[in-house]
Amino acid sequence: MYRRLLINIYQVRNGLIHTQNTRLPSTKCKERESLASAIWAPCTARPLGTSSIFFNENKESSTSQLEDKGKKPEENEANAEINTAEQKKTEVNEGTKKSNAALTSQLETEPVVKPEDSNQVEKSKSGKENLLELLGAMKVEVTTVRKIRPSKTPRMSERPDQEPMESAHSMFQHAAAEGSQQHGTLNPALAAAVSAAASTLPNKHQAESELLKQLRKHEAVPDTKRRADGQNLGHIIADMKVGRQANGRSNARPTSQIRFDDDGKGYTQDRGIIGELDGVRRRKSPFTSKRLNIFTAGVEQDALSHLGPTLWDIDLANQIVQTTNQMPRNGFEEMIQWTKEGKLWQYPINNEAGLEEEASVPFHEHVFLEKHLDESFPRQGPVRHFMELVITGLAKNHHLTVQQKKEHIDWFRDYFQQKDDVLKEAEA
Amino acid sequence: MASSCSQALRHHVCKSNRILRVYLQKSWPNRSFVLSSAADQPAVSSPEEIVIPRKKTWSKEAVLQALASTVNRDPTASDYRLQDDPYLTPKTSSEFKLFSLSQESGKNAAKYFINTYPKYFQKDYAQPHIPCLMPETLEAQIEEVSEAALIERIQMRKVKAAVDLYDQLLQAGTSVSLDVTNQLLDLICFYGDSDPAQENVPEQRNEETEDIQDEPQAKKGRAPKANDLLKATWKENNNAERIFALLSEPNPHSYSALIRGMVKYGAYSKAFSIYTDLLNNRLKADVHTFNALITAAPEVKEKYNEKWELIVDLLKQMAEQKVKPNLLTLNTVLKALRRCGTLGKSQAFPVISEMKALSIEPSLASYNHLLAIFYKPGAPIQGQTDILQEVMNEVSGKSFTPQDPDDAQFFITALRICLDTKDMEQAYRVHELLGVGENWRLLGNDFQQNIYHARFFSLLCMMENIDVVLKWYRDLVPSVYYPSSNVMRDLLQALDTDNRLDLIPQIWKDIKQLGHGNRQKLVEELLTLMAREKHNQEVQESLAECALDIKKMYDAGDRGKVMLSWTATSLSDLTSVLLAAQRRQDAWEMLKLFKAHNRVPSEELLNKFLTCIKDSGDVDQAVELVQITAGFCLPETPKLIQRVQQEFELSEQQKNILSDLELQTFNSD
Repeated sequence: MYRRLLINIYQVRNGLIHTQNTRLPSTKCKERESLASAIWAPCTARPLGTSSIFFNENKESSTSQLEDKGKKPEENEANAEINTAEQKKTEVNEGTKKSNAALTSQLETEPVVKPEDSNQVEKSKSGKENLLELLGAMKVEVTTVRKIRPSKTPRMSERPDQEPMESAHSMFQHAAAEGSQQHGTLNPALAAAVSAAASTLPNKHQAESELLKQLRKHEAVPDTKRRADGQNLGHIIADMKVGRQANGRSNARPTSQIRFDDDGKGYTQDRGIIGELDGVRRRKSPFTSKRLNIFTAGVEQDALSHLGPTLWDIDLANQIVQTTNQMPRNGFEEMIQWTKEGKLWQYPINNEAGLEEEASVPFHEHVFLEKHLDESFPRQGPVRHFMELVITGLAKNHHLTVQQKKEHIDWFRDYFQQKDDVLKEAEA
Repeated sequence: MASSCSQALRHHVCKSNRILRVYLQKSWPNRSFVLSSAADQPAVSSPEEIVIPRKKTWSKEAVLQALASTVNRDPTASDYRLQDDPYLTPKTSSEFKLFSLSQESGKNAAKYFINTYPKYFQKDYAQPHIPCLMPETLEAQIEEVSEAALIERIQMRKVKAAVDLYDQLLQAGTSVSLDVTNQLLDLICFYGDSDPAQENVPEQRNEETEDIQDEPQAKKGRAPKANDLLKATWKENNNAERIFALLSEPNPHSYSALIRGMVKYGAYSKAFSIYTDLLNNRLKADVHTFNALITAAPEVKEKYNEKWELIVDLLKQMAEQKVKPNLLTLNTVLKALRRCGTLGKSQAFPVISEMKALSIEPSLASYNHLLAIFYKPGAPIQGQTDILQEVMNEVSGKSFTPQDPDDAQFFITALRICLDTKDMEQAYRVHELLGVGENWRLLGNDFQQNIYHARFFSLLCMMENIDVVLKWYRDLVPSVYYPSSNVMRDLLQALDTDNRLDLIPQIWKDIKQLGHGNRQKLVEELLTLMAREKHNQEVQESLAECALDIKKMYDAGDRGKVMLSWTATSLSDLTSVLLAAQRRQDAWEMLKLFKAHNRVPSEELLNKFLTCIKDSGDVDQAVELVQITAGFCLPETPKLIQRVQQEFELSEQQKNILSDLELQTFNSD
C-alpha cells in the first residue's frame, strides 16, 4: 500500500499523474473536478503558474547533486502542497489526457490508481489523516534507504533482509524513470506534459524546448550515479532524523512513529495493542529462540580434584552477601540470623544442645565412679574416705564430661602417689 | 509522637494477631483431616497394626521462619533496625545515614578491640560455646619453618609472610606439596601480591555518602571498586609468576590461579598467553579459568566482532575440553556482550537459550545484563519496550536466590527502563516481583534501595493520578524511603496537575520532617503553588497557617544557621496567600519585610493589598500602604494614589498627604 502510494507520488512528480484521470469513473472525475474548481476557480492562471513552478523545482533539484528525491524530507512539511499540486496537474492536463489515454493504459494499472483515489477522497474529509498517511509512506522510504547504508560500510552482522531492500530501492528508480527506459531519451508522457506546461506560457516553443532540454539532462544522469545519490540521500535523511532515532541500526516501526507524530504526547501508547497481541507474542518469545549450539547437553564435567572451597569461592560468596540486603526486617528474622551465627539457642528447644560429644555416653558412666578408685587408691583409711567424697561430688556434677571426671580423679591419684611417703610417715 | 507510636504498635499487634488466627483456622481442618486419614488407614489394612509416624527433624530455623512469615511490613513503623530507641529513630535521609553508619562503625570498633587485645576476652561464659563471639587469632602460632606453618599463614591470608616462609622452605631444601603451593598461588593472585587491607583496622571509608538522595547514578556504586582495581595492578614478574615458574609440573589449578589473578588485576593479554601455555602442556582448563578469560576477552580486542569471535572461540574450547559451563559463565558472556555494540542484541538471546539447554537457569544478573544490552542508558528508547515485557514475563512470580554479585543490579536497571519509557505497568510488575519470596534481599544495599524507590516514586508522580500517588506515598514514606527534595517537587507537580493543592499543608509538614524545609527551590515552588489560585475559605485558612509556618522557617536563624533567604517572589507569594485568607495583620508584617530585605513588591500584590484593605475599610492603612509604595519609588504609585483617592473616604489630613506624595512622585519622574 505504502509503496503503491509512493510510486504514485513519484509519478506525480514526474508529471505522469495527469493520466490517472482517464481511468477514473466519471462520477469520481466530476467530484474531483468540482473539488478542484471549488478550490482553484477564482483564478485559473494561478494553478498553472504553480504547476510550472513545480516543474522548475523538479528540474532544479535534478541538476543539484541531491537529485529530486532529496527534496523529499523537505517536502514532508509541504506534503499538502504535493497533493494540491496533484489536483492542479489534473486540471492542467485536462486537455492532453485524451491523447495520452493509450499510453496510460500501458503504464498504469488499476490498483495503483485506487489508493490515490481514496487518498483524494480522504483529503476532502480530513487533511490531517491524509498528511499522516503520506508521512507514513515517507517513513517507509526513509527506513529502506537507511538500511542500504550498511552495505557501504560493512558491518559484521549478517543481514538477511538485504535483498528485499535492494529490490525496493531499485523499484523506486524504476518508478521514477519508468517510461524513460523504452524511449531513447524522453518519455512521451513527459514530453506531452512539457508541451502542456509550455502551452500555458507566452513563448510556447522556446519554453518547451528549454523544458525538454532540462529533462534530458535529468535523464542523462547515469544509473550508477543515481545509486550513489540514493545512498547520499540516505545519509542526509539519517542526519535529518537524528533527533528522533539516533540509533539508526535497529529497525524502526513506522506505525508507532506515525502515532508518535500524531498525538505528540512524547510517548507511545501502544501498550494496548501489545497487550492484545500478548498471546501471539508469547509464542515467539525471544527466550525460546535458537541457541548457539556450542555445547551438547548432558555432558558430564571431568571430575576435577576439589579440595573444598578455594579462596575465590569464599570471596564470591562474600561479594554476594555484601551486595544483597541482609538486614532483618523483624525480630524473628533477626533471630534467624543469630541462629545461623550460632549466637542463639536453637529451636526446637533441646536441653542437650551443644553436648553432642556426651550424647553417646550412658548416665551410669557419670554416676557410678567407684570403678575408677579400685586400682591405686588404698582400700580403706582417710584417703579412701576422701576419695569417696570426691566421687560423690563428681557424680552429682552435671557440668563436667565423663572424660573430665576421669581426669579429675587421675589428678588425685597422681597427687597421692607423690605424697606417698608423707602419708606413710604420718600414719603407715 | 509517642502516642502515634503506641497506636502503630497496637495496630501492628492486632494485625499479626489476626494473621495468626487465620493461619490457625487454616491449619486446623487440615490437621483433623490428617488425623482422620491416619485413623482410617490402619482400619483398612489391618486393625492391630499401629503406624508410628516417622520422627521429623526440623531445621533449626524452621520455627522462626514460620513465625517470621506471619509478620508483614507495617508502613506506619520505621525500619526494624531503627526501632531500638524511639528518640534516635531517624526522620531524614541524612539522619538515617548517620544512624546506619554509626551502628556499623560501632560494631567494627568492638571487633577491632576484641581482636587487638584478645587476652582480655578469654572468658567464655557461653554454654554451649559460641565461636563467633571469641577473639580471632591474628598472630601466627607456629614459629618453626615447616609446611604446617605455611598452611597456617595461608589461612590467615598473610601474603608476605607466606611467600617468605615458602622461600625459606625451598632454601632449606624442603619440598612443598603441589596442593599447598596452589593454595599459596591462590592467595598471592587473589590479593595481587600485596597484603590485604586489614578488615578490622578502622580505615577511611570513601565518602560516597555525599548526596545519595539527589538523582543518584549506578556509577557511584561502582566507583570504589574501580578504584581498587586501579590502585593494584599486576606487576611484572611478581611472586606469583616467580613461584609458578619454580613449579616443575604445574597442574590446571596452578594455571587457573595465575590466570584469574592476572584477569583480576588487569593483565589481560598476559592471561591469554598463560592460557596458550596451558594448552601447549596438554592440560585442561577449569570453568573458572574460562570465566576469567571471557571476562578478559572484550579487553584484548578492539572491534565488536573480534570480541565476540574470541568469546565464541573460548566457548567452543570449553565444549571441546568437556568443561560444563555454570551460571557465572552465562553471566560473564552476557556482561561481555554489553560491550559488543549491536552484536549484543542479536547474540544475547541465543546465549541464554544455549544455557537453558544446558539446564542453567538465568539469575537476575543475566536479566540485568540483557536489559542493559537492549536499553543503553542515555540512548533514546524506541520500540523496545517489549524486551522489558518479555523479561518480566519470564521472571514474574519467581523467587530468586542471590547467585551473582550483579544480581542486585536488576531491580534498579528495570526501573530505570520503566522510568525512561514511562511504563507504569511494567514498573508495577517489577515492584510485585520484589515482594515475591526472598527477592527483597536482591534489592541490594541502602544506596540501591534509595535509587529504586526514588525512581519508582517519580514514575508514579509522573504517570498516576494523585490518589494513587498518595496511597504509595503513605506506604513508602518514610518507613522505607526518605524522598529527596527533587522527588518532593515531583510530588508537588503531581498535586498541581490533579488540582489537589489543598493537600499542600500536609505535604509541607512532611517536607519539614524530612529535613527539606530549608531547600530554597522547593519552598519557593511550594509558595508559588499556594499563591497561584483562589480556594474556598477553609482551604485558604489552612494554607495561611502553612504559610506562617514557612515564614518561621525563614526566620529561624537559630544555631547560627541562616538557611533561606527571602526573594521578591517568595515574599509576594507568601503575602498574597495571607491576603487571600484575609489575614491583613500578618500580611502587613510581611510587607515590612520587603523593605527589610531590600526587595520590591509587585504592582499586582499592592493592588491586591489595597483591595483587601478596602474590604475592611481601614483608611489609615491604605494611606500608609501608599506611603510605603512611594518609598519604593514604584512607577505604579500614582495609580495607587488615584485608587485610594477614589475608593476611600479620606480625611483632610490624609488628602494632603496623598497630594504631597503625588507631587513627589510627579517630580521624581
